[in-house]
Amino acid sequence: MANIESQIFASYLRNPDLYDELYNREGKISEVYQKLFNLYGEHSISDYINLNSKAKSSFFNQGITFQVYDDKTVQEKIFPFDLFPRIIDANEWEIIEQGSIQRSKALNLFLWDIYHDKKILKDKIVPLDLITSSANYLDQMNGIDPPGGIYNHISGTDIIKHKDGQYYVLEDNIRCPSGVSYVICNRTALKKALFGVFNHYKTHAVTNYAENLLDLLETVKPNGVDVPNCVVITPGMYNSAFYEHSYLAKTMGVELVEGRDLFVENDFVYMKTIKGPEKVDVIYRRIDDQFIDPLEFKPDSSLGVPGLFAAYKKGNVTLANAPGTGVADDKAVYTYMPQIIKYYLNEEPILNNVHTYHCSRPDELKYVLENIQELVIKPVDEAGGYGISIGNRLTTDEIAEVRKVIKDNPRKYVAQPIMSLSVHPTYIDETESFEQRHVDLRTFTVLGKDKEFVLKGGLTRVALKRGNLIVNSSQGGGSKDTWVLKK
Amino acid sequence: MQSFLIIKQHKTSTFAMMPNKYEITYTAENHYDHWVYDAYWQFLIIPMENQSQFGVEIEFYNSLYANIEYSTNGYGFKTIRIHPKKKFDNISFKANFEFFKKEENPFNFPLDLDIFKGYQMLEKLDFKISFERFLKATQFTQLEKAHETMFIFDPKTSIFDNLQALNHWTFKFIQFKTGVTDVDTLLTEIVLKKQGVCQDFTHLFCALARKNGVPTRYVSGYLNQGSGFFGDSQMHAWAEAYIPEIGWKGFDPTNNILANINHIKVCHGKDYNDCAPLKGVVYSQGKNQTSHTVTVQSQQ
Repeated sequence: MANIESQIFASYLRNPDLYDELYNREGKISEVYQKLFNLYGEHSISDYINLNSKAKSSFFNQGITFQVYDDKTVQEKIFPFDLFPRIIDANEWEIIEQGSIQRSKALNLFLWDIYHDKKILKDKIVPLDLITSSANYLDQMNGIDPPGGIYNHISGTDIIKHKDGQYYVLEDNIRCPSGVSYVICNRTALKKALFGVFNHYKTHAVTNYAENLLDLLETVKPNGVDVPNCVVITPGMYNSAFYEHSYLAKTMGVELVEGRDLFVENDFVYMKTIKGPEKVDVIYRRIDDQFIDPLEFKPDSSLGVPGLFAAYKKGNVTLANAPGTGVADDKAVYTYMPQIIKYYLNEEPILNNVHTYHCSRPDELKYVLENIQELVIKPVDEAGGYGISIGNRLTTDEIAEVRKVIKDNPRKYVAQPIMSLSVHPTYIDETESFEQRHVDLRTFTVLGKDKEFVLKGGLTRVALKRGNLIVNSSQGGGSKDTWVLKK
Repeated sequence: MQSFLIIKQHKTSTFAMMPNKYEITYTAENHYDHWVYDAYWQFLIIPMENQSQFGVEIEFYNSLYANIEYSTNGYGFKTIRIHPKKKFDNISFKANFEFFKKEENPFNFPLDLDIFKGYQMLEKLDFKISFERFLKATQFTQLEKAHETMFIFDPKTSIFDNLQALNHWTFKFIQFKTGVTDVDTLLTEIVLKKQGVCQDFTHLFCALARKNGVPTRYVSGYLNQGSGFFGDSQMHAWAEAYIPEIGWKGFDPTNNILANINHIKVCHGKDYNDCAPLKGVVYSQGKNQTSHTVTVQSQQ
């Protein structure tokens, strides 16, 4: 054994301050990883390098790429994939799954409430200001009953394991969360590269996502529709997640369309086909609210369908997710999640929330300004890891700059203690060895009418730069196959 | 795009409280340099039905004989939508509305209301939640911090009286002048220029009433300006403010009057963005010449 260990993990350095998922509390290889550790140990590092490069080229060949936006250039990249999988045992998964469902359901009830009676505001659980000052609150959604009563059909919950061994939710993404195609592609890639290792574990499949998604979307069909016609709408091939849009349409067996492929007539939505117009009943939309209908929202948008919102308002088409869900994935709303769960479900939160300071509250603003070094500062309305400052990585000048930015617009910022994300052994190209890297987990929850589904797996994202805590693909992160073990 | 508007009022009775019959004609023409292969238009121009306006009859014509669809906008106001199925470089629209409008006494509320109680209502959380849509600043009703206190309500007089004072103040503050501002001009600029049209008067009125805690909405419609021709006038805009225990009341700061039988309401919203009379999505390569000319005619 010692011999094997010296082969592939010989140079693996463990920082005692970090929570390494490979090891248990006693500092031994954790039970769930033992077999895997042995199996990988049978390979030499050169075998590993070889497999790794094959896996990479397979991603390129399949066109599984995304684009990184920065100030100067746009680049097409593959989402770097790591061959050492992450394993979650059945008991821990139970908590994650139940916790994800709980949050999605609570958010759905919250959305219904704030677009109807607004009881949670009247009962002073959540301040009115949170809604009125949110750029994602859609007045037009007031009083609309989405088919099946569902707003956030698809939720992506970002979860981390802190050094205390507990899971914490960092964000609920309920606009157009992406990443699920990588979960499935990672599994395929790992099976191609190292099929043998799957024989030693009873792992849940992840390939059933598309059929479950379609199944649940069909439960929220408009009234009076027998067999709904579903489509996926994409902003087009230049969107960073276009691969995923096409993948989901293909695996669900439905059409992938752009705005110009659809039209609205007498408040019904139709798809242009060579056989003539075909009515569309359910649209899984991967276009942001402001772009879905130029007659109702952003008038210069050519991505959407003119008249779509009127058709939706009439109840003739289902949009998933519903317009206006973005108000609930505002990072300021996140901080009220424990109260929101308690209010609507009368349950204690299953997953922890990270304590959050609201810069809009004067006393908390004062604390934040005085303790920036120990905090992560986040804008409340940005996605993809943009605009985040991590206090202990900032220079004195940068701290002064962040202070100024917060003071200018306190409502726009929240702060949280710097969480220590768990680490996982990750193969690093430059050093040709395994090193500790921080990881998180995005779970995918689908809500239908009286039914729900959580993909038993999820996207483990890896911050590839040493010491980096931001794992978003747009910030240079990678990913790992994530195994959920059967009981 | 050129559009024309004609309003006719037929006086049917000498009794003031009997309804008057109105007729409004709206015409628009559009020329493009190149073929247009796909286009959508949405008109938000139909007089709404409410307590004082009823029996609305609609005739709509377009030169391409494209299918005419009636729908609603995001806030439930009736729209007309056109989506031609063939290419064109020329299109014209003509709408004709006939309806009845009844005079309403703007002072149809008890005059001995407790002033203090009214202001107390404005402060209640439930009230603020119910009316949050018409209390917040929007793109067109956003004032600079220094200008937010340009008009402060006097708590010793009623909300209604203060709104009338604000109506008068706005009328004095802005000088009516066309061509200085356009549909995209923001309040920050209007406050400095102190010139503008009905849209600008209304946005300023809404912004300041909201800053004083009174829910206020932007109203789009037609103004019957009496006999004769008034050139260079577009669809009109005024405001409605919600006064506790009284309800919504119309104020026309452009003319320093309360809304009356001559104000024909089409729709309301937070600001102009919710009420734009015409929205178009035109997929064409060339340019088109866009100019609006609206003529208002009234006939008794």
